[in-house]
Amino acid sequence: MRTSLQKKTRIYMAVGFSLLAVILVAFVISLTHLYVYDPNSTNAAAKLLPPSSDHLFGTDNLGRDVFARCMEASKYTLLVSFCGVFIAFVLGTLLGMPAGYFGGITDKFIMLISNSVMCFPGILLALVAVAVFGPSLFNVVWALGLVFAPTFARVYRTGVIGLSSKEYILHAKVLKVNPMRIMLLHIFPNLVPQLLPAVVIGLANMTLFESGMSYLGLGVQPPHASYGKMLADAQSYMTMAPWLIVFPALLLVIYVLGLYFLSEAARLSFGGERR
Amino acid sequence: MNIAEIRNLSMSIYSGKGVPALILDDLNFHIREGEILGLIGNSGSGKSMTAMTIAGLLPESAQVTSGSIEIDGKDVLKLSAGERRKLLGEEIGMIFQDPMTALDPLETVGKNLDEILRIRNIPKEERKSRIISMLETVGFIEPERIYRSYPHQISGGQRQRVLIAGAALLKPKLLIADEPTSSLDTVTTVSILKLLKDICIEMHMTILFISHDLSVVNNFCDRVMVMKDGKIIDSDNTEDILHNPKNAFTAELLTKAKLDPRSLGLEFSEVDPSGSPVLKVMDIATAYRDGFFGRQRAKNTIEGICFDLYPGEVMGLIGSSGCGKTTLAKTICGLLKPTGGNIDHCSGKVGVVFQDPVSCLNPMHTIRWHLNEPLVAAGIKLTKEEREKKILEAIKAVGLEEKHLSRYPGRLSGGQRQRAAIAMCLILEPSVIIADEPFSSLDASTAASILKLLSKINRERKTSILLISHNLRVVRTMCRRVLVMSRGHVVEEGMTEEVLKSPKASATKALIDAERQLS
Repeated sequence: MRTSLQKKTRIYMAVGFSLLAVILVAFVISLTHLYVYDPNSTNAAAKLLPPSSDHLFGTDNLGRDVFARCMEASKYTLLVSFCGVFIAFVLGTLLGMPAGYFGGITDKFIMLISNSVMCFPGILLALVAVAVFGPSLFNVVWALGLVFAPTFARVYRTGVIGLSSKEYILHAKVLKVNPMRIMLLHIFPNLVPQLLPAVVIGLANMTLFESGMSYLGLGVQPPHASYGKMLADAQSYMTMAPWLIVFPALLLVIYVLGLYFLSEAARLSFGGERR
Repeated sequence: MNIAEIRNLSMSIYSGKGVPALILDDLNFHIREGEILGLIGNSGSGKSMTAMTIAGLLPESAQVTSGSIEIDGKDVLKLSAGERRKLLGEEIGMIFQDPMTALDPLETVGKNLDEILRIRNIPKEERKSRIISMLETVGFIEPERIYRSYPHQISGGQRQRVLIAGAALLKPKLLIADEPTSSLDTVTTVSILKLLKDICIEMHMTILFISHDLSVVNNFCDRVMVMKDGKIIDSDNTEDILHNPKNAFTAELLTKAKLDPRSLGLEFSEVDPSGSPVLKVMDIATAYRDGFFGRQRAKNTIEGICFDLYPGEVMGLIGSSGCGKTTLAKTICGLLKPTGGNIDHCSGKVGVVFQDPVSCLNPMHTIRWHLNEPLVAAGIKLTKEEREKKILEAIKAVGLEEKHLSRYPGRLSGGQRQRAAIAMCLILEPSVIIADEPFSSLDASTAASILKLLSKINRERKTSILLISHNLRVVRTMCRRVLVMSRGHVVEEGMTEEVLKSPKASATKALIDAERQLS
């Protein structure tokens, strides 16, 4: 009985937080263009104003509306994390599936590459890539995609190896079905329950990475807003204007937490029960 | 004295908003102290659920709607969760069907067993000595070595012994054995049954033995109950059940278990041994790759195997587990590359039917997709109508209907899945079907119907069948010729009757001995 209660609470929390994250996303997408303040227009007369009915989240040191900037930051965060995960997912598929399916030398070679990428701290690798190729949104996206690809390759490889001994896959091999077809039509649909949580966790981690890079000035470039950059700028005004830190940080936490719970929900809904 | 009394027990499973399904329907029985009670029935008859209810291991969706279970005078259903957990282990021990998954693969056998005692606060030295002596009791000659081994280092039969040791460690009064021998070969089955019987007498245990196989209850159980659709429909002592059944269903189960060709209406195709064979296997050897980069080759798993298979012939391949039967099958159908020798398919196609009806179909695709896939793979170009016609033909040939085509494997029973797998083979019109233990995980009625289906295919299409099995009875009814394998070699071959009547190799003798003890 106790386990069932725990499971129910977990499901409620998962649903609650993912709803929160979804609402946040919806609000960002629908309101950016409708909101009265432009996120980049400065106003010398309205510097560091505390939250009020005029400026919901207050204003920053250049008189820009923090609410508008948060919305824009969310937009870029979404853009970077979705594109990055897409690149990582595609690369992971291309590497992990054949590694698991063919095994042997193919596997050893592919996993050698992916493990070498993995053994560097991810953020460092992304920073190096961006430092070399110059900070731009495009570079951030592909660098993050590259850094995250091995994680997906691993999920794929383990899944494919696990399924390879299943009799329906053996049967497909006996029928001499094209390996590409086996991988995409026979194996892939069976991996979805493992891949979906990995994708959502990937989105959450990517968001944190992007914020970290922007915080160091190598992510989204000014004048565009980004959570990391906003937090970095707000540091100097922390005592005078705490709202500059509190609101972006809070939104970031809710969004990432929501994604983590969403992945939990995805896992539970496919009947995964490992803990 | 009765150790357990089950009165008016009913249990339902609730799923979604639908009407709850009645799984157990007004069960009334008792288990006498010191006896071995057999519980027999087809899959889905509720025998495992009866055991789970007694042990208190029901899934959350299940609810006991009425009745009482008294064990040693206590009503189990009225106990709290904690008390029940204590009861399980100390009063009730359980052994499950699959010895592969019941042990933690990351811990040694000793550690696995140690946990049972550790949670009961028994000092370390005593735990070890008790485990070692129990391992000795279940028949290990070197208990110390087994104690240190990991589960993957010991065989299936040994693992089942370890599980029995684990269940007996706390000296429970009642041992529930849920299909403990279904995944073992005949020789091992006989030894495990003997062990259970010895333990039962030595430790004054009572055993509730669950099986779908009527043949194992002989010489083993004192009494047998037969279950059907959640009801106990027959109950008698073993002698009377086996030789003088009063219930029509029991009688039917018995005839099906005997696999008598005449009562099942089996008829096989004529064989012309002078014609050209459809499959020629010449001196093949196969090894599994091993070591870093897969360069080193392990010792050959099978070696020097030669035989011809003629059109319409059904040939048996027997041997105990681990003798290389499946490796040979995989080599013939091209899943493994032989390290030596030659396989000639003689321009015909080879189809395979595997053992496990659960994993033989892809859970994410419909049956129609499954039947279409071989056509796509073979590159046969057909119009949509022709394709549909072929698929319909194949599905009807195996006794399924059009409505099954749009279903997913999860919604079919074990027998239906095995039929669908056979349909997948048939659609390419193979000249040879390799059937790797197609019956071993099916109950007697389903196995008999699949056997009938295979004989029909053989008769009507003149398809040759290479039947791999450890069940001699099936081989005796189906096969004209038989190969006996042991340790990767063919040790005996010839006409089935001759080989089984006057066996020469010791492996054949062991198989026949084991079968004799079962029936």
